[in-house]
Amino acid sequence: MSADTETRSVPEFGQVSRTAGVVFRYLLLAATLVGIVALGVLLVYVAMDAFQPFTADVEWHLTYLGVAVLPTLVAGAYLYWRDGPGLGVAFEFFGLGSVSLLFAGGIAALFIDLVPSLVWLGYLIALVIPILLSVALTRIDHVVPFWVRFLAVGVVGVLSLIGVPGYYHSVPEMVVQIPIVPMDWVILAVTLGGPMAAVVGSLFAGRRGRSAGLRAGAVALVGVLAVAFAGPFLGIDRVPAAVIGAIALVPTGGHVAWTLLERPRERAGLLVPVLLVAGIAAGTVVVSAAGFAGPDTWLTWEFVTGLGSGIGDPQAAGIYPAIVGTMMLMIVVALISFPVGVGAAIYLEEYAGESRLKRIIDVNISNLAGVPSVVYGLLGLGAFVRYGGLTPGTVIVGGATLTLLILPIVIISAREAIRSVPDTQRQASYGMGATRWQTVRKVVLPRAFPGILTGTILALSRAIGETAPLIVIGAPQIFDLPTTLSDRVGAMPLQLYVWATTFADPAFYTTVLAAGVVVLLVVMLAMNSVAIVLRNRYQTRGES
Amino acid sequence: MSTEAITDDLTTRTENSPRELLVRAFFFACAVLSIVTTIAIALLLVTEASKFFTSTAHLFGVEGETATIGEFLTGTKWRPNFSPHRFGVLPLVAATLMVVIGSAAIAIPLGTATAIYLSEYATPRARSFLKPALEILAGVPTVIYGFFALVYITPALSVIFPNISFFNMLSASIVVGIMITPMVASVSEDAMSAVPDELRQAGYGMGATKYDVSVGVVLPAATSGIVSSYILGLSRAIGETMAVTLAAGASAKLLLPVNPAAYLEGAMPMTAAMINLLTGDITGGGLAYRSLFAVGLALFVITLIMNIISDVVAQHYREEYE
Repeated sequence: MSADTETRSVPEFGQVSRTAGVVFRYLLLAATLVGIVALGVLLVYVAMDAFQPFTADVEWHLTYLGVAVLPTLVAGAYLYWRDGPGLGVAFEFFGLGSVSLLFAGGIAALFIDLVPSLVWLGYLIALVIPILLSVALTRIDHVVPFWVRFLAVGVVGVLSLIGVPGYYHSVPEMVVQIPIVPMDWVILAVTLGGPMAAVVGSLFAGRRGRSAGLRAGAVALVGVLAVAFAGPFLGIDRVPAAVIGAIALVPTGGHVAWTLLERPRERAGLLVPVLLVAGIAAGTVVVSAAGFAGPDTWLTWEFVTGLGSGIGDPQAAGIYPAIVGTMMLMIVVALISFPVGVGAAIYLEEYAGESRLKRIIDVNISNLAGVPSVVYGLLGLGAFVRYGGLTPGTVIVGGATLTLLILPIVIISAREAIRSVPDTQRQASYGMGATRWQTVRKVVLPRAFPGILTGTILALSRAIGETAPLIVIGAPQIFDLPTTLSDRVGAMPLQLYVWATTFADPAFYTTVLAAGVVVLLVVMLAMNSVAIVLRNRYQTRGES
Repeated sequence: MSTEAITDDLTTRTENSPRELLVRAFFFACAVLSIVTTIAIALLLVTEASKFFTSTAHLFGVEGETATIGEFLTGTKWRPNFSPHRFGVLPLVAATLMVVIGSAAIAIPLGTATAIYLSEYATPRARSFLKPALEILAGVPTVIYGFFALVYITPALSVIFPNISFFNMLSASIVVGIMITPMVASVSEDAMSAVPDELRQAGYGMGATKYDVSVGVVLPAATSGIVSSYILGLSRAIGETMAVTLAAGASAKLLLPVNPAAYLEGAMPMTAAMINLLTGDITGGGLAYRSLFAVGLALFVITLIMNIISDVVAQHYREEYE
């Protein structure tokens, strides 16, 4: 080494050995990777158990390898080699497509089993009425005093959402009684597809003018209706087809259209998903024509939508009640923890000043974040079940308990997001005579919103995996599909625990249990990746 | 908007207008909810646990069987569900201690090394891959870690240790260690990043290598933050529930935490004992129900004390460099 000869020429400085440093560096890297690699290996194992790839014919693997995997890899490698921006588009397409499809599936399950579309429409109208009234009253702001407006909106809101039992029907009750209504799938296609089409339309309108935006929105809405109508011909009922069209196809299709029209240099990236989808379709045709046997996988459509608890018969086990239970819990948790968590964060950052109370709340929140989750379960059991008199293990008890559990996390991340809004913007707002609430609403919250959303999603993905509090509040070990907020509920991680313990049968461990683990991991990774992507976009924007 | 309206706006005392007060009250209520939660936890744990102990139960008018505090703290048998009942918490505490020692043996070296690598060595590109990967490591539901321990790690360990039992402390400690490594790493890394660059530059100016600076300058300067991350991580290991419930088993044996061979056997940490108490219907408020709160209170107090110590230690380094 040349460094050696140099140090030797000036002996009074002594020798500098780099060996220790280099060894140290690679030891550190190895230590960093140990956990990640271990998790990776375990994930490979669990995926093998869930999918059982070796039970398939070799020809089956070769077919898909030849027509789908290799062409996609070659196209991807070509794009990478050309170093164009196209590969990013391919990743965006896959990410957006798979995550939106996942969410669409979940929402479709809610509409199929829990909420009749007419009830959904009723609540939508019941919510829109007070909002419209509030907007209308704000237009004549200075004629009507605030208290009158507040009371009017409140009373109308309560009347339209809840009604007065015995005297006056709420709007949902009235809507359900309307004799002639559109078909289920039309209601869903319009109520879900409409807002999505409006978003796509406004994006296009922003770049290409009003008429282009209107056209894009119209195409999206008509597209959703068409997909819903055509669903049965592809083997999907019209209701899930409408939901998938609105939640998954409109954003993905919008992304494709946007890429084709606005990002000419990146168009080539769309080649990769096209090749993959066409390859899978071609592979399916070849495999079914030649009669190659696919893998004897445990993660099947029957497993995801199955209702069986699997007692005595692993083949009949299904995770569907647990998926629906998790979704209901998460809806309750999100609806409570978001406003309360953000409200607390706003109070601490914008209102509290440097008071003694603020310091107490500060310390308290950081301590609450360290309380073990099983203790929150005890809180739920004692406060809601024993003293509150609620039935143990219901959606509302579980949701409230999980909310208390993740509130500190939501508050801490929301505070960080709010703190990152530059003070100069607040001062500018106050300088123009805005009040505190106006400043918070118009200046602070819009800037902090992506950060708040990221933190909330991460907190929710923590709540999805929590099992211990649910066991403590008495969630049942064997559960049916929950349909209302006061039904007893299970969740995905609870189902895994039950499969691992109650029926301690080795047949479960590497079959049904592995499939369930994959389902839970997919949901959790989807939420985490949404949060991470959101944060990265937000951070790079903030710096530029 | 007419000019009249604008003047109207400017002359109203907006700070105390009903809208502002209402909004403020709502936000205040949200913030106070956290204090209410803490008080509710403390009150509930203390009252329910008091009903469990003989010396305090009569204060709440509880009739029937109770346990003495002495037996609870020094008893070596835990048998809550079968007569004769025994409520000695020592076996549970010993098992929890074993999880703490075992997971610390993994998480402390790995977490510290990860923190040094991320803070001193990693390129921004490497960081942009490693940080999300570590976040995912921390985000995997604990019940899944328990499943890994039970189904994959224990069989792998049985190749090395043929006499390992199906439920064992070793696999539980390994997964808990992997689980808390990201937390130790991220808090330690924050502490190392807070070390002022002047210190590093002074080290390089003296001719130190990167290794010398990392080990000789940054590590000592960030000690308090690093120690606080250890305490925080270990307090999470204590409160960790599902992984140890699945992997460590449900036999409340009193094992000696300092005996390495004991890790091949199964035992029941405090959290696992709580989950196991819940297998029966205990919402009625019997002795088992109240013992749940006694264990919960012990757990809450231990983790609270550790969090507070960690906070105090962390404050120390914040004061030094700001």
